[in-house]
Parts: sequence; structure tokens; C-alpha cells
Amino acid sequence: MASFVGRRLLYLLPVLLAVSLLTFLIASLLPGDLAYTILGDQATPEKLAALRAQMGLDLPIWQRYGVWLWDVLHGDLGRSFRTGETVLSAVLDRLPVSIELMILAEVIGLLIGIPLAILCAVKSGSAIDRFLTGLAFGNLSLPSFMMAILLIYLFAVQLNWLPATGWVPFSEDPVGNLRSFVLPALTLAFAEWPALMRILRSDMIATLQEDYIAMAKAKGLRPARILFVHALKPSSLTLVTVTGINIGRLIGGALIVETIFALPGIGRLLVGAIYARDFIILQGVVLFVAAGFVIVNFIVDMLYAVLDPRIRHGRA
Amino acid sequence: MTSTLRLRLLGVAFALATASGLGAAPAVAQKQGGALTVGLELDIPGFDPLKVGVYDTAANIAASLLLETLVKLDDNGKPKPSLALSWSSSEDFRTWTFKLRPDVKFHDGTPFNAQAVAWNFARQKDPKNNCRCAFYIANLLSVEPKDDLTVVYTLKDPAVNFPALLTRPDQNSSVHSPTAVQAKGDDYNRNPVGTGPFMLKSWTAGDRMVVERNPNYWDKGKPHLDRVVLRPLPDSQSRFASLKAGETDLVWADEFEADNILRARKDATLQVLSYAGSGAAVNAINTKVPPLDDVRVRRALVMAIDRKKMSQALTSGIARPASNPYGDGSWVKCKDDGALPEDPKKAAELIKEYGKPVSFKMLFTATPRGRANGQVLQEFWKQIGANMEIEQIDQASFPPRAFQRKFDITGWRIVDFPDPDVQMYANFHTGSPVALANYSNPELDKLLERARVTPDEAKRTEDYCAISRIINQEAIWFWTFQNTYYAIAKAKVKGVPKLFGGVIDVSNAWLE
Repeated sequence: MASFVGRRLLYLLPVLLAVSLLTFLIASLLPGDLAYTILGDQATPEKLAALRAQMGLDLPIWQRYGVWLWDVLHGDLGRSFRTGETVLSAVLDRLPVSIELMILAEVIGLLIGIPLAILCAVKSGSAIDRFLTGLAFGNLSLPSFMMAILLIYLFAVQLNWLPATGWVPFSEDPVGNLRSFVLPALTLAFAEWPALMRILRSDMIATLQEDYIAMAKAKGLRPARILFVHALKPSSLTLVTVTGINIGRLIGGALIVETIFALPGIGRLLVGAIYARDFIILQGVVLFVAAGFVIVNFIVDMLYAVLDPRIRHGRA
Repeated sequence: MTSTLRLRLLGVAFALATASGLGAAPAVAQKQGGALTVGLELDIPGFDPLKVGVYDTAANIAASLLLETLVKLDDNGKPKPSLALSWSSSEDFRTWTFKLRPDVKFHDGTPFNAQAVAWNFARQKDPKNNCRCAFYIANLLSVEPKDDLTVVYTLKDPAVNFPALLTRPDQNSSVHSPTAVQAKGDDYNRNPVGTGPFMLKSWTAGDRMVVERNPNYWDKGKPHLDRVVLRPLPDSQSRFASLKAGETDLVWADEFEADNILRARKDATLQVLSYAGSGAAVNAINTKVPPLDDVRVRRALVMAIDRKKMSQALTSGIARPASNPYGDGSWVKCKDDGALPEDPKKAAELIKEYGKPVSFKMLFTATPRGRANGQVLQEFWKQIGANMEIEQIDQASFPPRAFQRKFDITGWRIVDFPDPDVQMYANFHTGSPVALANYSNPELDKLLERARVTPDEAKRTEDYCAISRIINQEAIWFWTFQNTYYAIAKAKVKGVPKLFGGVIDVSNAWLE
């Protein structure tokens, strides 16, 4: 197991390096000139040249990447030229909000998706199966910004049960904190559960036709035990993969959901940085997100090994 | 019977009121205490002019609570004392002397005085600091303290209405505590210290800024509120929903969310605060590139635009058509502003008369609004036989394209400002970097030069109307809509002054 983790960790390094290079290239190739953005209306050719030299913008791109990477490796991601915040503190201040949102969304998605998938798999082909698969499909085609507005209208404006916007720190008011996450997490979860359910449903249907399930039934094991112990674990490999990959989708969804619900997360930070041409923040956030994505998928790879001993022992 | 009874009761009430001297008091007593939550569109980037360069509306609104300016505008748009008590000018309007209010202290205890004002100016002007904000004080040569409470501004070009130019709570006119700026360095941007009625309590980036009553405020008895909370709520629908759900008391709005404004107008629990400002959404035509170098083509393009229809299409009809650069909010009122008639038939004839194909590009922001704007204009011009291609570029690319005149037609804006001189001179005088039309006319130059040194408002108005006539007749710029600024509030929110320049100043507000 240790050597397996070690090998995986080694793969992680080139991936993160490639991600950082891509991030840097994308930020550099975006239209708009950082020196122009900073100087604005006062951008005379002399001042532009002076500022570019001062910020190292006149160096070739490879050299700039080298300098940037060196600084990043020393923990210095730079400072926003607009607000004076360091990238590290800007990201770390907002990261907990986004992580909480994504975890809650994924948990709610799984809580809806898994039971429904099992139900559909057991009753495969029945009216209820067809109804739920249809519902999942309909739900998938409803965009999340639409869902967000509908939820706000119903639960905040009409019923006044939950806040429409905003956020309270968990340390100040745990209940208020959870209340402020209900609608945004539901919005994201509504986009999540259909995919999770459909994947688990088809895997589960296949598993339920395996010989060992028939064997278990013949042994007279209780159906619940068969379903949850014997069938669910081997059926959830794809589900785990998708859950991992979904983190990427959730980050994309967070851009929209954090904006609509005015949550101070990294999605909002990213959108704000793009609008303000704050390249330094932009680069930093993308690097964090990409690294997070890579690490989550690394954890997913580890989970495979737990779920399926064949992977652990390299015999798959 | 009921009506006579009511009349009699009214009479009694009136007699009582006059007898007890209440007749002279304001109709409603201003209630003390309470908190007000304001929903803004944008995150507040900060307050250090060297960092943020130019304040956006969110920063302006926050600055109006924390920081102060020497002069404020009264409800008629005229200068009134704030940190300065009085002012006077030299005969040529190039030297202005301000007498400052005594016994005012910044929130950190630093005394407010002439040296502090001069220090703020010098910091922004210092070429070493490379501040974007310096562009806006290019006309100020120096700001010198004469004594502790007298400060002298020396201008390069004269300005008859100079005090009015110091009223906006912006990056240049807001006065910061010199000690705090120096002590906090990089962190000052997010820890502003001014003389304002409120002091910064806490600020969670992206979530909320909380400001609390300044107990040592120089204007005794003010502010009325104990606390104001500013929250960035970027999505217009959820911003309005937060107001309906009671999470905010007042929200920023603009005419592109006309549906919310129209709904709020019908809602008895809400009020719509709107201010018809000066200035307009404008467009500059590059008169040096064919086919736009021909005045017939330019006139045709302007005459083809049906502003009412355009307002309907883009803003459900609430945007107000503009026929000159001054607008209803300006003191410049013209009997004849020289506006060309909206006449697509005549426009089509002019294009035919020109004889060659009319094709050009126009710059718009890379936003859905920019595209919608472009499509409407494109349609009007197609109908008279002119072909416009929409080019969308991002906001940051506008200034370089404009300064280098790399455009055929470009959108621009004349913002609400207490005096027309600054923007009119910059936009139309020969040789100015933002005289975008590439147009030079000695008569226009002469009028612009004279208007800035004429103290008599009636005479200035005549000059500005003559200027408008030249621009309209030569069709070098055209205007689509006047600037209108909006806020939507709970009905209980009182005491918000006119939204000058789109700034919602709640420093003097109270809750009924």
C-alpha cells in the first residue's frame, strides 16, 4: 500500500507543474495589458515602459514563469495590485466557504442520489424506475441559475424561511451558518444527484445479476444486507470516480451560485478578479483550484484501492 | 359631515402647532438609532488612491460614510460647506482659498488641518507614486497650507465653479488621515481612517463591511443611525429578493433591471429613489476615417436613431432619451440645443446622396448589454442603408483604443458632475487626449475657453448651448440616454439625499 501511495504521489508532481505552467500561460495570453490596467488613463508610452520594466513584464515569458514559480515555491503568490491583499490571504479567507459549500452540495447530492438509485435498481423497469429516471433527466436540464432564483423566490421571499443571500461565519453562529448554506447547496445538489443516481443505478443493476448475489439470496441473507453490503460496495467504483471528477463541475457551479447567493467564496473572488483584470489574484486562484482538483482525484485513486483490492495489489 | 369635522380638527391642530411653535420645525422628527443594511452591486476594492486608482460606485458609497470632502452639494446641486467652512477665489479663478472647519479630528485622533489636506494632494500628485488618480487632478498645480486652517489651491486652467468639483466622495477629494496612511502602509487600503460620521468596525472581503457611529463627529447629533452594513450582492435578482425578504433595507439598482424598478414602484412597502442626473451615455465618431469624415453620413447615422424605441427595447422604456450632453440634472438648460430630428427617411436620403457604400465598425463592451446595445443600433442603421459591424472588446481595452483613435465609432460616457466644464473641455477642445472625434474647430475651442472663465451662470449657459449646437449639427458625438441613477429602499428609510453621480449617501439617513 505504501509503495502504491508513493508512486501516486510521484505522478502528482509533474501534473501540478503542468497545471502551474498552463495557469501562467493562460493568464499571460489573456487580452489586456497589466501595465495598462494599473496606469489606466495616465498610460503614456514612457510610463508604460517604466512600469513594465519594474514589474518584469518586459522579460520573455519563460523567464517570467521561472520567477513566478520560484516565488510560488517560496510561498509567495504575490499581492493584488488593486486591493493590496496577498493572494494567499485572499484565497485562504474564502476557501473555507467554498469547501463547505461543495461538501454540503456533494453530500446532499449523494443523499438524494444513492437511495433513489438503489430503489430504481431493485425495481428496475417498473413505473417508479421510469418516473425517477425521467425526473432526473428533467432536473438535469434545468440550469442552476434558474433553480437558484426559484429557490430564493419560494423559500426566502414567499415563505421567509431561509436567507436569500449572505453568509455567517460558523464560529459566530453555527445554525445561521448552515441556514445560509441550505439554498446554495441545494441548488448545486440538484445539478449533482441526477448524474450520480443514473450511474449508480446502471452499475447496481449489473451487479445484482452477478452469481454471488444469487448465491447470497440462496443462502437466505436479508435483502437489505445483500443490497447495502454485497451489492453497493462493488457497484460504487464509477460513482466514486464521478464524485471526484464532479469537484471540477462543482467549482464551475460555485462561480454562478456564489455570485447569486452572494457567498464570499473563491468562485466570487475569481469572477471579481476577471472583471477587474486582477491577473495576480486570477493566477493564484486558478492554481489553487487546479491543485485542489488534482489532490481530490488523488484521494479518489486511493479510495479505489480501498474499494477494490485488485487495484491495491496491482493485478487489475 | 365627515369632511367638515376633518376640517375643524385640522384647524385645531394647526392652531395648536403654531401656538407651540411646531410650525417652524421639520414635518417629521428624525429618529435616532437603528441599523441600515445596504446592498451594493460590487465588492469594495479599498480606499487607498494609490492602490485602487479610481473609486467605483461601491467605493464612493462607502467613502461617503467614512471619509469626507471639503465641500458637499446641497439638494439644488450647489456647493455647501463640509470640512471647509467658506471659500473665495482670485479674479482669474486660478487661485482658490478655503477656510477649514476647526476642531475636527480623524477617527484615529489626528487633527484635521490644512497640512493634512496638502499632504493628501501631494501623495496623489507625486510622480514616483504612479497613481492613476493623478490624471483627475492634472489641472491642480499645488495645494499649500497658508496657516493651520487655510488651504490654497492653485490651478493651471481657471475653473469658476471649482468648489463644486471637490464634492464627489472619490479618490481625489476624500481626505484621509496622514498618520494612518503612513502607519498602516500596504494595509491602509482596507483600514481607512477619515473624519466621517461613521468609523470602520469590521470588513469581511466579499461579504460585508460594518461601520459604526463616530461618537466624536463634529456635527453634533449626527449621524442618526448607529450602524450601517454594506454588502456586495452582485446578482440583480437576488439583490432585489434580499430587499423583499428583509435582509437589506436599501439596494443599488440601475435601469437595466427595469423589471425590479417597475415592480418596486407598485409595492407600498418599497420606495424607488431616482435621480435624473447631468451627462449622458454618449458615442464618439472618428471624423478622420471614411465614410465618417463626411458630415452627411454622420448626420444620417444620428437621425436614424429612434431613442424611444431603443429605450423600450433595452430598458422597458425607463431610460430617458438625450439630445445634448448636459441632461435634465444640469443647470445648463437650452432653448435650442441644435439636436437633429429623428428622421430615418431624411437619413436614408443623405446616405444615398453620399453615393458610396457606408460600412464601419463600432466598439462595445464585451457584455450582454454591449451586444444588445449594438444590435439595436445596427438595426436602425441597416434600415437607412448603413452597415455597422459590432466589435466587442473588454473594458480594459477601451482606453488604449480610444487614446490611439483606433476606432470608427466608440461608446463613452459623460458622468453626472456638478459642472460641465471638466468633461466638455476634455472631450471637445482641440488637442485633448480624449477629444475622441479627432475634430478641431476654432469656434468650438473659443466657446469652451470662455465658458470656463465666465462667472455669470446665464452667460455660461448660452456658451454651453452654442457648444451643443455645434456638436449636434456637425454630428461628431451623439447621445443616446441621459444618466439616471436608482436605489430601491424600504419605505421606512428616510433622509437619503439626491443620488449625485450615482452615489447613495446614507450618512444622514434615519429609519422611521
